[in-house]
Amino acid sequence: MIRIAAVGDVHLAPDASGHLRPALEELGDCADLLLLAGDLTKHGTVEEAEVVAREFGGLAVPVVAVLGNHDHHSDLGDELSTVLSDAGITVLEGNGIVLDVNDTKVGVAGVKGFGGGFAGKCASAFGEQEMKAFVNHTVEVSDQLGKALDGLDADVRVALTHYAPVKETLRGEPLEIYPFLGSYLLAEAIDKARADIAFHGHAHAGTEHGMTAGGVRVRNVAQPVIRSAYKVYSLEPAELERAVG
Amino acid sequence: MTPDQEPPQYAVARLRRALAEDPRTAEQGVRVDLRGEQVYLSGDVASEERKHRLDEVVHDIAANLKVHNDVHVVEAQAPVGREELR
Repeated sequence: MIRIAAVGDVHLAPDASGHLRPALEELGDCADLLLLAGDLTKHGTVEEAEVVAREFGGLAVPVVAVLGNHDHHSDLGDELSTVLSDAGITVLEGNGIVLDVNDTKVGVAGVKGFGGGFAGKCASAFGEQEMKAFVNHTVEVSDQLGKALDGLDADVRVALTHYAPVKETLRGEPLEIYPFLGSYLLAEAIDKARADIAFHGHAHAGTEHGMTAGGVRVRNVAQPVIRSAYKVYSLEPAELERAVG
Repeated sequence: MTPDQEPPQYAVARLRRALAEDPRTAEQGVRVDLRGEQVYLSGDVASEERKHRLDEVVHDIAANLKVHNDVHVVEAQAPVGREELR
């Protein structure tokens, strides 16, 4: 059995420093790893990243993160990743990591993701440069996610994004903003690579549970959705294979 | 143009953008509803301080509006139980 703890959208800054730490101190008793689904900071500053590093550094379990849109607001994505890495947090962006959990190899592939919308109602790379750049960014990061998942030599393969791969976990958000909350291209990559489960954040007013068209379970772990410091999901690798088919 | 002269749809849009773009708040998940000169805020933020900053930003933009701040401070305690995925 593998126990995956996950949370996204903690939006830490000096004013919220230490809020989550008491709950995180118990993590080793109930989880084998912790995933952070982006928007770890509020404005994407190094000072805020240092708060994140103190909050999630030195825990009893490995911590694997992706950045979110807030983490890029100050154009310091690389600097934030360095601060987090120095605290022992693995930051993924188009790559993956394999962890040994109770003799099971757990692979996590991560990417921030981006918007564009969902199958049949999505943006196209056509027209103005700005529109093509918007859609091409989603195409590029979705491709990176697929390749990172394919590259994982693991018993269980997990997709970690900030943006949503499916619209089911957006229920509760206004329909009009769905194209800014995620893209079906992420789900397509997850399905093609036959991942076992996918976690994302970003949609604060969304819903926890969803599934890709290919039958991969999706969980929106944005903190306002799960209403706790993290949520724990336990997986039995052999049984998951049957569920996905 | 002041908020009481502009159509309420534009006033709501302006307030929502301000709450997302003003560095004091940077909150994208706060909803704004306007009823006459009363503005209702809802959604989730990470701390009490951030909840109060929403009032400040709205007041700076539209001092004539009475603010009803129903925003919820998100829970940060450990979860109870776990989900078993089969």
